[in-house]
Amino acid sequence: MKMVNIKIQVNGNWYELSVNPGDRLVDVLRDQLGLTGTKEGCGAGECGACTVNLDSKAVLSCLILAAQTDGCTILTIEGLQRGPELHPLQKAFVSESALQCGYCTPGMIMAANALINTEPEPNEATIRKNIANNLCRCTGYDRPVKAVLKAAKDMKENLDA
Amino acid sequence: MGVYFQVEEYHRPQDLAEAVDLLSIFENSARVIAGGTDVLPLRPGVNKIDIIHHLVDISKLGLDYLKKESDHLRIGAATTVNNIGASPLFLSGPYGAMSDAADAHSTATIRNRATVGGNLCNASPCADLALPLLVLDAILVAAAPRGKRHIPIESFYKGANYTALNKEEVLLEIRIPLCSEKTGSSFLKLRRHQTAIDMAVVNVATALTCQKKHCKAARIALGSVGPIPFRAKTAESVLAGSILDEEIIQKAAATAAEEAKPIDDVRATSAYRKKMVAVLVRRSLENSLRRCGQ
Repeated sequence: MKMVNIKIQVNGNWYELSVNPGDRLVDVLRDQLGLTGTKEGCGAGECGACTVNLDSKAVLSCLILAAQTDGCTILTIEGLQRGPELHPLQKAFVSESALQCGYCTPGMIMAANALINTEPEPNEATIRKNIANNLCRCTGYDRPVKAVLKAAKDMKENLDA
Repeated sequence: MGVYFQVEEYHRPQDLAEAVDLLSIFENSARVIAGGTDVLPLRPGVNKIDIIHHLVDISKLGLDYLKKESDHLRIGAATTVNNIGASPLFLSGPYGAMSDAADAHSTATIRNRATVGGNLCNASPCADLALPLLVLDAILVAAAPRGKRHIPIESFYKGANYTALNKEEVLLEIRIPLCSEKTGSSFLKLRRHQTAIDMAVVNVATALTCQKKHCKAARIALGSVGPIPFRAKTAESVLAGSILDEEIIQKAAATAAEEAKPIDDVRATSAYRKKMVAVLVRRSLENSLRRCGQ
């Protein structure tokens, strides 16, 4: 097996890593960088628990080889918060009680983050479409959708203030 | 680590010639990867494949583009499905089926990585993008060791998960001949939950070229109801040359259902699929007719 050398930016820091050719991005994030906020659920692209932002787009880290991300910028749930306060999406998920067991939450928040960054005022239908790849088996989807709507509103008000 | 997906060596060729060379050297032990959404879920032993020894990554070869030429549209094989869905090139009547299919494909998250070339080369019987390309008479351009080869999409599919590409060939580009403005196309997909990630129960695309209600040409393609996506030519011949009214559209839809050869599986029974072919073809023809001249 021939190792692959890659340089990736994760949550603002550059890392030079040597990875197995078959390592997926989720393996490298969790096992090499210790960023266990990104969860692995199905490992086949169906549950969305491993969703991260790759060059600002929501992607499934179980369906990307780490070797393919050479030179890319990656944002995980650990990098969302800037400064001492939680990110508006994180705050809204708490205040709207949008999580119970929490396993799907990092993926759902990262899918929502990519959406809000391209579309600051998404409507409910757009939000549902964009988190359609994120399965939740305990809270359901109404509360997460409300949380994303609230976060988008809060972020806009902060921007306007 | 690495227990889920295993591969001996990852190759990132710098140009097309290198990619074709690598495929010529490793042949059956190599597999092309671009977005990875069809390759990474593969499990040796589970998916009737052997261990993949060599992966050849074509995602950095500049094959991500959408261009309009004087007589055709060009789509780079590594263009993501979301880029196709967002492109103004496919919004108008003749090419509307392309944006319909791109929007119905998998989920918004997967479409950020999934490529049109991957969707075609994976050769799933339910590949969404194959259907609009069948009704638009697309030509596929492949790179081979000795130059390029043009393959009409109709002769591209040889069987389930099996295409006309040789082991050392790479799909480069999809060409769609420019259609008359009097053409309208549409794509429809039935799945168990319309927003969730699931394969189609039935998917269809249609295209009509009309002068008023007089049908000059008709195309109907069916997916998920046979080993490959295919054209329903008997149903097409019902429409060509006729005046398009409710009755003739119903007749074409019923004929298309007869041409479908579905199987029973976890998603639906064969009988249900046949019924749904008739419904989807009728609705898609109505959409296509509305889009003529748009």
